Amino acid sequence: MSSVVSHDYLESLLESLPKDSTDALSWLKQLRAEAIDQVGRQKLPTLRDEEWRFTDISPLTKLPYRPSQAAADLRLADIEHLFLEEANNRLVFVDGHYAPQLSNIIDTENLVIGNLSELLSSQASSIQPHLGQYAKFQENIFTAQNTAFLQDGAVIAIARNTSVSAPMHLLFIATQKEVTSYARCLLIGDTGSNVTLIEDFVALQEDAYVTNSVTEISLAANAQAKHYRIQRENNKAFHLANCAVSLAHASRYQSINIALGAHISRFNLDVQITDEAAECSIDGLTLIAGKQLSDTHTNIDHLKPNGTSKQQNKCIIDGAAHAVFNGKIMVRPQAQQTNSSQSSRNLLLSSQAHVDTKPQLEIFADDVKCAHGATVGQLDHEELFYLQSRGLSEDAARNLLTYAFGAEIINRIAITSLRQQLEQIVLNQTQSR
Amino acid sequence: MSVALQNLVNQPYKHGFVTDIETEVAPKGLNEDIIRLISSKKNEPEWLLEFRLNAYKKWLTMSEPDWQNVHFPKIDFQAISYYAAPKPKKKLASMDEVDPELLRTFEKLGVPMHERAALAGVAVDVIFDSVSVTTTYKEKLAEVGIIFCSISEAVQEHPELIKKYLGSVVPVGDNFFAALNSAVFTDGSFCFIPKGVKCPMDLSTYFRINTEGSGQFERTLVIAEEEATVCYLEGCTAPQFDTNQLHAAVVELIALDNADIKYSTVQNWYAGDENGVGGIYNFVTKRGLAKGVNSRISWTQVETGSAITWKYPSCILRGDNSVGEFYSVAVTNHYQQADTGTKMIHLGKNTRSTIVSKGISAGHSNSSYRGLVRITPTADGARNYSQCDSMLIGDQSGAHTFPYIQVKNSSAKVEHEASTSKIGEDQLFYFAQRVIDAEEAVSMIINGFCKDVFQQLPMEFAVEATKLLSFKLEGSVG
Repeated sequence: MSSVVSHDYLESLLESLPKDSTDALSWLKQLRAEAIDQVGRQKLPTLRDEEWRFTDISPLTKLPYRPSQAAADLRLADIEHLFLEEANNRLVFVDGHYAPQLSNIIDTENLVIGNLSELLSSQASSIQPHLGQYAKFQENIFTAQNTAFLQDGAVIAIARNTSVSAPMHLLFIATQKEVTSYARCLLIGDTGSNVTLIEDFVALQEDAYVTNSVTEISLAANAQAKHYRIQRENNKAFHLANCAVSLAHASRYQSINIALGAHISRFNLDVQITDEAAECSIDGLTLIAGKQLSDTHTNIDHLKPNGTSKQQNKCIIDGAAHAVFNGKIMVRPQAQQTNSSQSSRNLLLSSQAHVDTKPQLEIFADDVKCAHGATVGQLDHEELFYLQSRGLSEDAARNLLTYAFGAEIINRIAITSLRQQLEQIVLNQTQSR
Repeated sequence: MSVALQNLVNQPYKHGFVTDIETEVAPKGLNEDIIRLISSKKNEPEWLLEFRLNAYKKWLTMSEPDWQNVHFPKIDFQAISYYAAPKPKKKLASMDEVDPELLRTFEKLGVPMHERAALAGVAVDVIFDSVSVTTTYKEKLAEVGIIFCSISEAVQEHPELIKKYLGSVVPVGDNFFAALNSAVFTDGSFCFIPKGVKCPMDLSTYFRINTEGSGQFERTLVIAEEEATVCYLEGCTAPQFDTNQLHAAVVELIALDNADIKYSTVQNWYAGDENGVGGIYNFVTKRGLAKGVNSRISWTQVETGSAITWKYPSCILRGDNSVGEFYSVAVTNHYQQADTGTKMIHLGKNTRSTIVSKGISAGHSNSSYRGLVRITPTADGARNYSQCDSMLIGDQSGAHTFPYIQVKNSSAKVEHEASTSKIGEDQLFYFAQRVIDAEEAVSMIINGFCKDVFQQLPMEFAVEATKLLSFKLEGSVG
């Protein structure tokens, strides 16, 4: 991609930025101004950037660029099929704009949940120390864009020692074509709190658009969070997501990222283990076909001792699809007694499918246990033969094995209805071959 | 860390000394005239000069790479002397005529070459600062049709082979340092095994760096024709210097149908002192082309020296059913840096590759494994197994793994495993129970850790490698 193209792209982006913001809050103005400044400074990544070597996002620049307008009214009936029965706390964002009429908040005791722009004045003291502090827009142009456009977004703050039983369901719905919507989420878990967060990206139309999502999660000492991320955009969409997590003493974070949709998707997950004895488990399943490209970059940074991280990433690639996985685990000199394991397993279902995987370890401490592994292969002939010898047709045997490969990740989701929905999707996709 | 152990780790470079032989050194700097000078000194044909100048032109357009995980001050390529030769002497008829100073050098190194050559049955082609001094066993090899000589000799006597193969695996513009080498290489080894010949002995070359401030640009070319087999050994030691020396060699291997090339390296160049001052920069391009069906290329390396080791011995598996292997032990101590690994490019059907890499870092050193396994759409049924293990000794060292796996064929099977560990207290305790002291225990554990690689080395190299590792690391744990 020539620099001229990306320059034009940035020009149009800068023009569409909100010029006269009415924010009364000076710190937010300041944050946005810094982000806008960064948008102007940074270049759009190309294949020459190591972090983007396998993911060509130049098609993005061919799209006419404009931020999404307030969405046409959706009725509850239009999106009812997307609801999860266990998750009664629901915030709905249509093309990045908060839709209160579609949202539903039942738990309010000891927690704050709502739209960022409405909570800014009343909750500034709890939001300000966190917003924009974890997702570093200085290093990522898409995070910078998102921060520059900061308007609506989900804010969830759980009070000390509060355990929220019902999951928080964030539904990001795309209804307009050729727009960019900015999804934003901030989760603050105070000491000893416990919460489950679902981020769900769906489309109700068939044309191209861009979702730029930024999620920031901060867990204080002993806090716990489960974070499920379902990306089921339509097959023409661009999905650019950054998630930054900061873990304090003995906190626990579980992330499961399911990537099914989008023409080109990129998910960056950055976990900073900032204090001792924190644990994280990060799993991912990518299921793509056709001409899809799905890129997952994770970075787990062990800064302090006694941390544990476990990661399993799986990709099922069909058609001429292309999956990219880059999993970096950093163990800093102080982070003795770190225990870290990582595995990247990839299943290629067609001769044109292709995968680039790079499990990367950088270790500066000697008293650690770190292992990683990667495999790329097709379905095992012996396993196929075994199932066929039990009377299954070849197709059925293939589908079953493919399904089982993906199910290992899906089964870790603790919400029954979500799990069932996903199982159905995987089943449909494997059978449609 | 106990004092005794500390001493062992920090023991000075055993092979450190400068041999006082008059050398003829070209003026510092690089330009077309220097290249013409090198070419005319070596009495080269016109096409080789063209080859050099072409490489030089490419080099001028290239910029130094910056993606590596090693750090060093910028090299001033105009401050290097690109040619140094021992003063021309009359042709030597026997070993007795060799400069006694030179012979003493080998004595000091523990390589009494005539004896050793005779005892071990190894033909040693000694490279002493860019010009081959003597070649042994040449006649014996010539009997079966094997050509084993310095590359400058080969240019004179077998120009058709050089013209055909030189730069065919590593093109002149392949990378910054390969281009530099192609422009200014002064000498190196050439080995040609004709069709159907199994080389009756292991071939070995000793590389030495001697003149202070002169970079060495070796060029090695090994060709195995159909059904030929060869085992090539390369071992290095160097004198202790304060200034950094650049070593940018190029090694090309070509294996035709059913041929088998095994290339082993033991590298113990000066690594700098305990504060990271001095030491050799070892930036080498090594690549093998498994061109024919059922051919095999196997790299084995034991990297213990150099301030910076930066190389990726690679295999291009073009022939169907061809096999690529890479076995590596990289040991770093003090402020040494290593960024090494391999590339396995699978092009042919049913090609197989194995990667076993062991990294040991002690002191303030950093070692990285960087590997690429690429399965192209044409490589049906390709298979790769990679294992890279790191051992950290002391809490100031670092180990890094960058495995790139690129698969574009669904029938491929690729596996990669890596682990990082240290020498456990319980392991040492177990040895102590059996009255084996910590030093010996560490040595045994490390040799056990590297066993998979040492097994691939020829006997005498395996012994040398085990010794080297003991020198380097014994007692780093305590």
